[in-house]
Parts: sequence; C-alpha cells; structure tokens
Amino acid sequence: MSRYTSTVGSRFPLIDSMEKSSGQGVYIEDMRFSGMLYARLVRSTETFARVDEVDFSQAAEIEGFVAGLAPGEPGTGNTFGVLPISEDETPLPAPNSLYSGAIVAAVACETEIGAREAALRVQVRSEELPATLRPKDALKETDHPIHSNTVAGTNLHKAVDQEFGDVDGAFEGASVVTGGEYVFDGINHGFTEPIGCIAVPESNGRMSLYSATQVPHYLHRALAKVLEMPMHKIRVYKPLVGGGFGGKSDPFPHEMVAALLARKTGRPVKLIFDRDEVFLNNHGRHPTEYKIKVAADQEGRLLGLDAHSRIDGGAWGSFGVVTTYYNGVLSQGPYRLPSFRYSGRRVYTNKPASGAMRGHGAVNARYALETALDEMAERLKLDPFDLRAQNALPPNTTTLNHLRITSTGFLECLERARERSGWDQKFRKMPYGRGIGLGCGFYISGSALPIHRTRTPQSTVHIKIDVDGGVTIHSLAADIGQGSDTMLAQCVAEAMGVRIDRCRVLAKDTDTAPIDLGSYSSRVTFMAGNAALRAGEAIFRKLQRACARLTGKSADGFVKGADETYVHLDDDSVVVPYMDALREALADNGALIAKGAYIAPKLGGAFKGSGAGLSPSYSYQAFVAEVEVDPETGFVRCEKIWAAHDCGKALNRLAVEGQLEGSVHMGMGQALTEQMLYLNNGQLRNGSFLDYKIPSPVDTPEIEAIVVESNDPEGPLGAKECGEGALAPIIPAIGNAIYDAIGVRLHEVPMTPERILKALEQKRKAEEKAGARS
Amino acid sequence: MRVPDLQLHRPSSLDEAFSTAQEHGEHDLLGGGTDLLCNYKWRLNVRPHVISLRHLPELREEQGGPLAAGRTLHEIEHCAVLQRLCPEVPRAAAKIATPLIRRTATLGGNLHLDTRCWHFNQTAEWRLAHDSCLKAEADQCRVQPVPGDVCVATYSGDLAPVLMAYGATAVVASPEGERTVALRDYFALDGIRRFADRRSGELMLRLDLPQDAAEWTVRYEKLRLRETFDFPEGGVAVAVRWSDGPGSEVAAARVATTAYDSIPRLHEDLAERLVGRRIEEELAEEIGASLRDQVRPMKNTSMSPAYRKKMARVLCKRAILACLPSS
Repeated sequence: MSRYTSTVGSRFPLIDSMEKSSGQGVYIEDMRFSGMLYARLVRSTETFARVDEVDFSQAAEIEGFVAGLAPGEPGTGNTFGVLPISEDETPLPAPNSLYSGAIVAAVACETEIGAREAALRVQVRSEELPATLRPKDALKETDHPIHSNTVAGTNLHKAVDQEFGDVDGAFEGASVVTGGEYVFDGINHGFTEPIGCIAVPESNGRMSLYSATQVPHYLHRALAKVLEMPMHKIRVYKPLVGGGFGGKSDPFPHEMVAALLARKTGRPVKLIFDRDEVFLNNHGRHPTEYKIKVAADQEGRLLGLDAHSRIDGGAWGSFGVVTTYYNGVLSQGPYRLPSFRYSGRRVYTNKPASGAMRGHGAVNARYALETALDEMAERLKLDPFDLRAQNALPPNTTTLNHLRITSTGFLECLERARERSGWDQKFRKMPYGRGIGLGCGFYISGSALPIHRTRTPQSTVHIKIDVDGGVTIHSLAADIGQGSDTMLAQCVAEAMGVRIDRCRVLAKDTDTAPIDLGSYSSRVTFMAGNAALRAGEAIFRKLQRACARLTGKSADGFVKGADETYVHLDDDSVVVPYMDALREALADNGALIAKGAYIAPKLGGAFKGSGAGLSPSYSYQAFVAEVEVDPETGFVRCEKIWAAHDCGKALNRLAVEGQLEGSVHMGMGQALTEQMLYLNNGQLRNGSFLDYKIPSPVDTPEIEAIVVESNDPEGPLGAKECGEGALAPIIPAIGNAIYDAIGVRLHEVPMTPERILKALEQKRKAEEKAGARS
Repeated sequence: MRVPDLQLHRPSSLDEAFSTAQEHGEHDLLGGGTDLLCNYKWRLNVRPHVISLRHLPELREEQGGPLAAGRTLHEIEHCAVLQRLCPEVPRAAAKIATPLIRRTATLGGNLHLDTRCWHFNQTAEWRLAHDSCLKAEADQCRVQPVPGDVCVATYSGDLAPVLMAYGATAVVASPEGERTVALRDYFALDGIRRFADRRSGELMLRLDLPQDAAEWTVRYEKLRLRETFDFPEGGVAVAVRWSDGPGSEVAAARVATTAYDSIPRLHEDLAERLVGRRIEEELAEEIGASLRDQVRPMKNTSMSPAYRKKMARVLCKRAILACLPSS
C-alpha cells in the first residue's frame, strides 16, 4: 500500500517566498487608494511638557494641506494599550507629551512632500514639566508623575515580589554563591520594514485600517475603543509584514491618528514612518539593571536563586507588566531550583516606551543567570556543561512557581552542542585571546493565559474547500516573516493528506478570519498550528465519509495515501483520489467548511502573578560561542556559534534553521554592538541604521543550527516554539567565551570594545594592587 | 524619507557645469549622492540647485586617468592600474561603506565628504528639539560651545589620508582654469568651510600621484565597530620609502590621520621620527603613543573620544608594522 509521505521534518521554502523575493508581494508602502492623503506626525521637541496649543496656520499655507489633528479633538485623548491593565497610551497628548519625539499632532496633505513641509511648520505651545530620565529617579516621589496610575506619587509602574521555598536558608547553607550586578542598554527590534498604516473610511460608515501589525485582533479592539465604534464597524487588514520581532505587537498611537484623520477628512490617510520614527516609537527591550545571586552546594546542586530587576519602561505601559514578571519567572528553567526569590520594578521615564522584543523578558535575566552559573562552575571546578546537566529540569514535572514541564530536550541540547563544538578540546585550553563559552535557555511556547479575560479560544482556524479543490485557510495568526502562513498550510495539508501548494492562507483580514490573538509570546505554531490541525482533521473526516459513500467501505478505514489519495486499510486496492472524494463530499452540501480551535489547558497556581510564564510547553537551548578577542582594542570576533535548540519537532527544518540563525544574529547584536543612546535631555542620539549598530553579514559568524526534537505531546505534530527562545543564550555564551579568552566578565551589555578594554584595565589594576599587597 | 524639491542639472561638459553654477548661484555639486542626498533628506543645508557631475568626461577615467574624481569607489577598488601603482588606495576603497554604496559613491565625493557630527547628522525634527547645530540652523556649536566657535564636526573620508600618504596632489578647475594643490593643503580646519582657498565654482577633476608613488609602501588602519558600512572612528595611514629594499632603514615617511579632526591631517613630526630607522615594535609603539597624545577627537561620533584617542596608538602602531614585508 502506498501511503502518504509526510512533509514534517523536510526542508522547503516558505509559501510566500516567491511572492516576496520577486517583488510582487504587497506591503503597506505599496498600497494606494483613490483620493488618498498623506499624513505626517508632529513630534515633541520637549522631554516632558503640557501641550497647551497647536497652531496649524502656517502649515495650512502649504499647497495641498487638508487637515490637522490636535490634542483635544474627539478621540485623541481616549486611552488604549495592549494590556487591559495598563491602557495608558493616547493617540495624542492628553494633555502631556511624554518624551522628546512623542507624537503631538498630525497633518494630512495631498502629497507626501507637502505633509513633510506642513508638519515642520506646525507651531506647538507647551509648558515644560520636570522630566524623569533615570530609573532610580523614577522611584522618588514627584509632583508630576508621568501617569496617574503610578505607585504612591512616584513613577513606579509595576512592582512584583515573589518568593518560593526557603531562600535565606538556601543561601546560609550554600557552599558557593555567585552572581553580581548587570546593566543592559535598551535595544530596538531593527525590523526591515518601517511601521506604517492606511486608514480608509468606507462609504457604509465603516473604518478599514491596513497596517503592518503583528496583532490585528488587539488593534481591532483598540481602534473600537479609541474611535468609539463597535468592532463590527471596523476592519483591520494586515498586508505582508517585513519583520516584527515584537516591535509591531502593540496597537500604536499612529494607527489611531491615521484613523482619526481619515474620519475627520473623509478620505483615506496613509502614514508611513521614517526609520528615526521607528526608533522613537520603540517598544523595544527594556533598559535593565539586574542583580542576581545563585547558591549551590559543594557538588554543584543549585539551592536557590535570588534576583532583582529594575527595568526602564519609558513613557508607556505596553507589555511592561508582563516584562516585569518574565524577568524573574522565566529564570525557573531549564534548571531545578529548590528556592527562588524575585523582585521586579518597572518604572516610567520620559523616553520612548519599552515593550516586547524577541525573547521578551527572558533575555537580560538569562545573561545574568548564565554568567553566574559560569562563575559557579569555575569556583566548583566543574565543567559548565556538567553543572548545567546535573541541574536540568526533568520532563513531566512542575517548577516551584507552578510552571508545568512536559517535554524537554535540554540534555540532548547540551550533549550535542558539547560534541559538535569540540568543547572538551577547547575549553580553558586555547591561547590567550581565544575563548569558548556556553549559554543555555528556556522559553515559553505561547502564553497560556490570553491577555483579555475571555472564554473565546486563543486560536481558531477556518477551512473552506470548493469545487476547484483548493484549500482556503482563514486565520488571524499574523505572518510577519517567520513563516506562520506556511506552518498553517503544512498543518492542514498534513491533516488532509494533500499537497501544501493546494492550500492558500488568508490570514490578514478581520472581516473574514476567525480570531487569533496574533504573533507574540511564540504562540503561533503551538496554538494556531493545533487549531489548523483540528480544522484539517475535521475536513479529513468529511472526506473519509465521502470515500465510504463512494466505495461502500467503512469511513474509519480510510487513511491518507500517496499522491493525494485515500486508501482503505482493509483493502489497499480501494483507492479514492482526493478530488473524487471532494466531489462526493460537496454533492448536495456545497463547499466543505470546518473549523478548529485551540485553548490552552488550565495551568498554574493560586498565588498573585501565577499566570506569568505559564505555557503549554517550553523550548530549551544550549548554545556555544567561540570568539577571538583583541586585547589591545577590545574587539570581539565571533568565529563560530553552535546553536542547539529543542523545538519539539521541526515541521520545516529550513524554517527552523532560519529562525535559529536569525536569533543568533539578533542576539549577537545585543551582545556586542546594539544600544539605544540618549543625550542628557532624553533625546535619542542614534535613531538610524548607520548609528544604531546592527551587525552586518560580514560580522556574522558561521552558525551551526542543531535541531533537537523532543516531540511535545501537545504540540502540533510535536512542535514547539523556535523563534524567540533561541535569542537569549547567545549573549551569555559570548560573554562566557570572552571570559575564557581574556579572563574578564562583562557587567554591561552590549559588550563593546570600549567596555571590554575598560574591564581589562580594571583587572590589570586589581592584579597590580593584589601584587603590591602580597 | 524624501529629498526636498530642488532642481537637478546634468551638464555634459565642464564649461556647461561652470555656466550652470554661475547662472544659478547657490548650488551643490553631486557626485554619487550617497552623502549629499542623505543630508538633503534630513533637510541639512539644502540648496535649490544641484549640479550632477556624472556626465562630465573630464571626471571620467578616459580623460582624468585612474584617479579621476568621478570614478566610483567600486571602480577604484577594482582598478588594476591602481592596484599596481598605489595598492593601498584600492584596499582602502574596499573598506568604505558597503558594496552597494561603492557602486554609486565616487572618489571625488569621498574626498569631499561633508564633516559629520551627532548634533548635525540628524533629522530636521531632531534638530528642532535640540536647538540644532552650528553647521545647520544654530549660531552655537553643541560640542564645543565657545564664543566665535568653529565647527568641530569630524572628517570621515577614508581615501584622503591614504592619498596624502602617497603624496597626492589634487587637480581642480574653475572658470579661470586649472590649478594643482597638494592634497595635504586642500582642507581647512573648520567643519563648515572645510576647504582652504577654495575658489568660487571650483571643482576637483582628478588626483595625481608623484612619480615615485610606486616606491612607497603604504598601509591604512581603520577603526570602526562593524566590518562594513561604518565611517571610520579613527584612521591612520602610514607610508614609508625604504632606503635599501623592504624592511631596511626608512628613507622617507608620511603619517596621515582621518576621523580625528575636521580635516584629514599629515603628522610630519611623527613621520620624521621614522626616517633613518628600522621599523621595529618598539619604534612603532613609540610613534603610536605620540600620535595618541597629538589627536584631540571630539565627542561627536559613535565611540568615545577617550577610546578613539587610545586607539590612535594601536592603529598607528599596526599601520607602521604592517609596512614591514613580513607582515
């Protein structure tokens, strides 16, 4: 009997790759509408100010000027935000503008050039307020808190305090305690396609918003709130998106502004950011101060973790409450911890907002923990791999904070990274300047709790099949370049036993797609993938019944055969081609339709904040970096990276490897070169791709992606996430490799040449001082 | 990002270029545009007329030779004549920007690169929030706010120090005719004025190298965070002519820097200290340390002045040692 050959584990290009690489793909910048206006934002020149008046009179002299939008106009002061618990953003100041570069007003003109000129002519009269720029100052009481929801007259946005087990006892009884204080600069996602949107007022009173977004559903909700329109009167459409990495996972003020301008003018309004505006919008990784202590016994068994973070949220809440939790709770893996204490503080400052970015909340804390573990291994004279392996979380267990652990390929990640990198021949054995380091990781495969308290499934997928035999898949999972459309097609094709190219994915339009919460928290493969599988299985069952009617055989006996056929288990000469089965299924019924949905299982404990970090499954990583450090300049050259990642099951090995390579590249940027820099007045200094230093291809080393498969029992076809967790481990791997190379540990990230040289000088001085004493 | 409205002129001869310039007054000259047009997009000193030099035969290789000002950096990088005559020029060209930019950017454009500063190379909106910069809309420098101040924006061209190290002279033309000027004397220590004794309507046709150029060993070391794209945060070119074959005593030397000042600069005192000596680690270290003490980088580029200053020693030492045949 010739059975269906699964595509799972094979390597194939994403289904939209030709569309994108040929230039045929439509991004927001490519879209035009009849009568379309161009909007330009007027941005604050003050760090913190009450906006009293906006004067468009000079702007109105520009040819083609149509309208301005100023604070105080209807809708401009309505609050929104991605998290219902901190809806503190407004389209325009109400009445305060919160940072240098914040949106203050907007203009709409007939041409883009005209809009630019007009925006520069808008006069803003404002009263300066005392700004708060440093996180430590944000904890002090002030007469001018940035938001009204802060704690006790300060700019403290969120405080988290958690403790499990006997932490003090663990540290008192410990043989070794390591750790320290670390500082991380804020970083930006650096996606290729700038943010942009087009708002189109429809003749039937509806509003359509076309936007480069990761979260059409949350945008849909926010628009309804700001525009004060029912959701069914609003349509959100997501064209192709040129990268997101978390930087398009909030509803944003500019989207609201475009819609308000469209409503005001009655015409479509296009609003595309320049690169510097992308940086000003930010919502990137939080600048972080992190203190950590790790305790272990003489054998290297971990006894406790004590961590504290202070994170700089900038002007808005965004995902910050979640970030505050994640900086602690995601340090509960991949190691078994008998005791754990974490306190986190997120503050508002008068700077561009921080939010979610690839590896959300786990990245900076991971650097601190993995560096402390590297120190611990050295103190205990243990190999860093051995220390980690002996503390690995076993499968099918629960952490102290009630994270449910199911599948884990962590030990295999360790084994394969060690073997492939030649670790045992290199560690502490290479000449001065050359080093090798290990960093490990652990990440959620989708947040188990939805952002909004609702019983609606987190992912729903619809399928429609008609006489042409094509399989139309409707979803609102947002493909932002990571390949989720391909994943949906593959899951449905697998479930039905048809070729992927028979599937077309329409995952872009709230008018036609069922709800999916969008692309964040590495949830799409696990959740939308499961929903797609279930929808595909429902169609398959319909086709089985059609086969039974055609052949008189039992429906349950039909299985997927080769070349899009269905074969009966009892008699392999009974073969029904897909199209025959389909025609039978369509007869008297019309188009085949089915849906599948996914709701995460109920997880977690009963304590405050127990929902943070809960996921139906977790990914695991062990990464090794080999570096060359120039001790005279402080320059680090990454020579090779070995990236072992447990993705459950590689549905498409090419896509998984691409995600791992992308994560390594992006993590390497945070490790070595990327930082958002501000002048003393809070003005962003390096808002361009020339000055914000993303590593180039020339700087990128050879990356060996090592795919580990633990076959998750609940993942779609066994899969888990592979897009985010893989970013965190590379940073400590590089840091620990630098230590192996030149004997200094960096407490500031990025580890720039200047910082490395400074650390070397401090080490030399300390050694001289010690030598003088002896 | 859009270039503001302007009138682009495309003269096909030098005379036409001069007459266009005279007719329209306030103008800029456009080589490849990879510097100028970026500044224009940020509304930096935009002029109503831009005169493209692309179609001037005098600036092409056929008339201007291998160092014609209109040659692209890509052409310079891959020019067999230059690889024989002055190999460090193509090598330095290969370190500029990115392959894509080098296909467009020109030799003349690189030499005339506008000086850079983080208070200047920003959007119009950014400068509005910052009371701008002396070289743009303001009357005071943000880096060194002193009365009657001079612009201290940083010169960031890579080819100027290398060409200076080879002893290049610039051939420039104006409606009054051609003149030659040693490249070392071409620049003025003012980030706004930038060029010494520049006459109205003057433009660079080509560079000439001295007869003995091929006898010099030149090495250029560039400091930058990424191995592509970035402007130099410091750059040192060292040229030596051996007295008796490679590695022998130094008969003559030149040391030139870029990205440490508003101009590329020759350091004659340092070069003199190389003359009559054999290059060794100790000597290279000594000259490097002196260069470090001489340079005064400003706080206006990505890396800190203190670090760039430290690196002047390393760059100089490495460039000197790289001149040795064994390297």
